[in-house]
Amino acid sequence: MPKKLSPSMQDYLETILDLSSTDDEVRITDIANRLNISKASTNQAIGGLVKRGMVTHRHYGPVTLTEMGRSEAEKIRYRHDVLKKLLIDVMKVDPEVAEQDACLMEHTISQETLTKLVSFMETYVVGREETEMPEKTYTRLSDLMVGTKAIIKKIVSSGSIKKRILEMGLTVGTTVEVKGVAPMGDPIDVLVKGYHLSLRKKEASLVLVEVV
Amino acid sequence: MSIVLEKRPEREKRPAPITVAVAGNPNSGKTSIFNNLTGSHQQVGNWPGVTVTKKEGQLVMGSTKARIVDLPGIYSLGAYSEDEMVARDYILSGEPDVIIDVVDAGNIERNLYLTTQMLEAGGNIVIALNMLDEARRQNIHIDVRALADRLGIPVVPTVARLQQGMKELVEAVLEDAGQSKPKPFRIYYGELIESELEILEELVKTVPELTARLHPRYVAVKLLEDEDWLHKKIEALNGDTRERLMMAAGDSINRLRKHYGEDLDSALIEQRYSFIADLLKGVVTRSEDKKEKDTFTEVVDRVVLNRYLGIPIFLLVMFGMFQTTFTLGAPLSDMIETFFAWLGGWVAGGISSPLMSSLIVDAVIGGVGSVLVFVPPIFLLFLIISILEDSGYMARAAYIMDRFMQNLGLHGRSFIPLLIGFGCNVPAVMAARSLENKGDRLTTILIAPLMSCAARLPVYVLFVGIFFTAYQGLAVFSLYLLGIVLAIIAAHLFKKFLFRGEEAPFILEIPPYRIPTLKTALLHMWERGSQFLKKAGTIIFAAVVLVWAMSNLPWGVEYASQESLMGMMGSWLAPVFEPLGFGTWQAASALIFGLLAKEIVVGTLAVVYGAGEVGLAAAISSAYTPLSAFSFMVMVLVYSPCVATIAAIRRETDSRGWTAFAIGYSLVLGWVLALTVYQGGKLLGLG
Ligand SMILES: Nc1nc2c(ncn2[C@@H]2O[C@H](COP(=O)(O)OP(=O)(O)O)[C@@H](O)[C@H]2O)c(=O)[nH]1
Ligand SMILES: [Mg+2]
Repeated sequence: MPKKLSPSMQDYLETILDLSSTDDEVRITDIANRLNISKASTNQAIGGLVKRGMVTHRHYGPVTLTEMGRSEAEKIRYRHDVLKKLLIDVMKVDPEVAEQDACLMEHTISQETLTKLVSFMETYVVGREETEMPEKTYTRLSDLMVGTKAIIKKIVSSGSIKKRILEMGLTVGTTVEVKGVAPMGDPIDVLVKGYHLSLRKKEASLVLVEVV
Repeated sequence: MSIVLEKRPEREKRPAPITVAVAGNPNSGKTSIFNNLTGSHQQVGNWPGVTVTKKEGQLVMGSTKARIVDLPGIYSLGAYSEDEMVARDYILSGEPDVIIDVVDAGNIERNLYLTTQMLEAGGNIVIALNMLDEARRQNIHIDVRALADRLGIPVVPTVARLQQGMKELVEAVLEDAGQSKPKPFRIYYGELIESELEILEELVKTVPELTARLHPRYVAVKLLEDEDWLHKKIEALNGDTRERLMMAAGDSINRLRKHYGEDLDSALIEQRYSFIADLLKGVVTRSEDKKEKDTFTEVVDRVVLNRYLGIPIFLLVMFGMFQTTFTLGAPLSDMIETFFAWLGGWVAGGISSPLMSSLIVDAVIGGVGSVLVFVPPIFLLFLIISILEDSGYMARAAYIMDRFMQNLGLHGRSFIPLLIGFGCNVPAVMAARSLENKGDRLTTILIAPLMSCAARLPVYVLFVGIFFTAYQGLAVFSLYLLGIVLAIIAAHLFKKFLFRGEEAPFILEIPPYRIPTLKTALLHMWERGSQFLKKAGTIIFAAVVLVWAMSNLPWGVEYASQESLMGMMGSWLAPVFEPLGFGTWQAASALIFGLLAKEIVVGTLAVVYGAGEVGLAAAISSAYTPLSAFSFMVMVLVYSPCVATIAAIRRETDSRGWTAFAIGYSLVLGWVLALTVYQGGKLLGLG
């Protein structure tokens, strides 16, 4: 991640995740209502998230989380859940107060403390409800060794980069072969649809493949 | 998946001349075909408002007349860079009566992607199935008849390199121009998408603004893809229609999202590719025996792109480029200089009035001469660049250097222009044109003058020879290094503060090696070189005349003396350079003259000190200290690009603002650095 999200941005992400689990589609209005914030500032904040590649929102469409946005939102949610559990189950704080405090603490707690906290909870608190993180079973095209053949499974990106990748022929189901790596380690040379394509590892990492 | 094929109704032949656009993927052979069709009847200019080369020509074939336009290479109609937008807009504008779509037969699958896009939009397309010789060598066989039948458009087999198929191509184009728009070409996108397309298409049909040039179905597809250019068009419509279209598009997208999620875009593109795959079944056959064997290109690349050999080979190629340019170019430039000196002397002998003679000899002849000395290196450099580009090596150079250039926030392709800058900044600025991304291009243009060009060397040599005899090499090297370090810092700052937009992705084809044709290379050389002569020539010439006038006015004053306008300006500016250690009118005048070309600084110093070669060294060693000499050299390195470079910047950025900025920032930077050197040195007790 380029830069740490501000607490309010984190709240937006979390809200979008929340809403998308219950509603079919999330609109700016829904988010504004839920957070009790004006539509204009919600719009602005969503714009910020779009720039960071966390959500997609085009001219007239709904707001949707990108792969990165979802995993970020889930991380925040996870922190929230862990903290709430700690407050309620271990410290016996009133659930309502716990919810509010967790909301505040989730933004500031460091990754280190959180990791320690989780292992503490796992050791001492039984019956914890697992918060699942999405599992990654595919390899990234950027991680393949030279000479490896693989089938494209997914492009984890959005907007114009994704389109360009696809339009160059890196479509799902296509077989690719990594032919070489530039002398300084980047970009890579990939054989696709019978021609050689060079792309930076950064772009290649957006292409998920299954080695054949 | 089915292809709808219907006969096109005949329409009466329209009166010539018609307009034909040559479109296609990069490296498919568009320019070769364009050159074949137009011969030397070409005009090179810019597309309005952007610095993208526009090439237009007249068809020369019998009595037929047609206007032909060579478009920048594109992979699809979804444009990402300025070049691509120019091509896309022109194709969709409806201006061309026929579009020749140049398809690389050896790479037909990806090439046909653009074809399907143009067909969906509703253009009149004739395919030039090019590079058939190459395809044959790779044992790829293409059934041209079947391809034409399935696509429903004419397909002409060509080998542009050998001028094969050109006559047939022209015939097909002329025939096609006489026919009305073909029946819509359709790609079947699957039941769900089709039902939404139907709804949108009906709605789009009611909006004449959108369907004047584009097929309604194409507009509907682009609504689903939420393309920016279409959105802009819709925003410009009246309120009611706009709302209805936006609502409908939003609803359709939302309904499809339920099924496709984030992957609606992917679904559309994948459908097109699978349409192409189906289309090519039975049309393209590959003999299996050769398939597993590596191609010639792959064998060569195993060496050229090798982990250990790649960079040395690259450096060798670059070194060769320089050596050729400057070893072949320098004697030619010298000859031109000598010729103009001789011409000047000859003319001067025939004119009695000294002022008149000086005007003609120093200003006019000198002015023309100082433009023409640029010709040999610039023409040679562009000849070599063109050969490297057409052979396929340039794409590999970008691939090899990209990692390094990423450190500067730039693209692999920026390396070549910057390297050229060490020879001469003018072609460096011009070579930046190969960069697609505008931010990258401007950054490269702005930092290229920091590369210490060959013209600055004589200045260093003069001063270093006087003050740093013990470590001449080191002193000169430190100046080159300073230029590079400054360029790196400047690139970072410009990218960070001026061109923040998204980074251009590096997704480039590495084309097979091809033997370039001399004709294309020479044409390209002529094109770039003459552009320079035309545009930069006038600026350089004007500057030479201006400086001549300033050195001779007011009337009767001794040439470039302190009493001349130039000397007065030098005296007036001298205080500005006082804190830098060289606050003399002579130094200031030399710097002003140096704007013409930096090596002129040396000659000017000789004139203003009224000294020859030997006397100059004595005069300088008394006027400068080692510290102020170094400070002066730093100033010469950094302060303002020379007028030729300024002219090139003006041309390539097509903006007064950026040109002024290029001059302004380097003036300030040069002054501050020289100040730091001098005052810092004094503090350290080096004064
Ligand atoms: N073998 C072969 N080479 C070709 C053919 N047409 C063009 N070329 C070469 O392919 C390279 C790129 O051609 P060019 O016309 O510049 O392509 P553009 O990028 O589409 O304008 C040049 O080296 C041409 O000489 C062809 O039909 N056969
Ligand atoms: Mg071309």
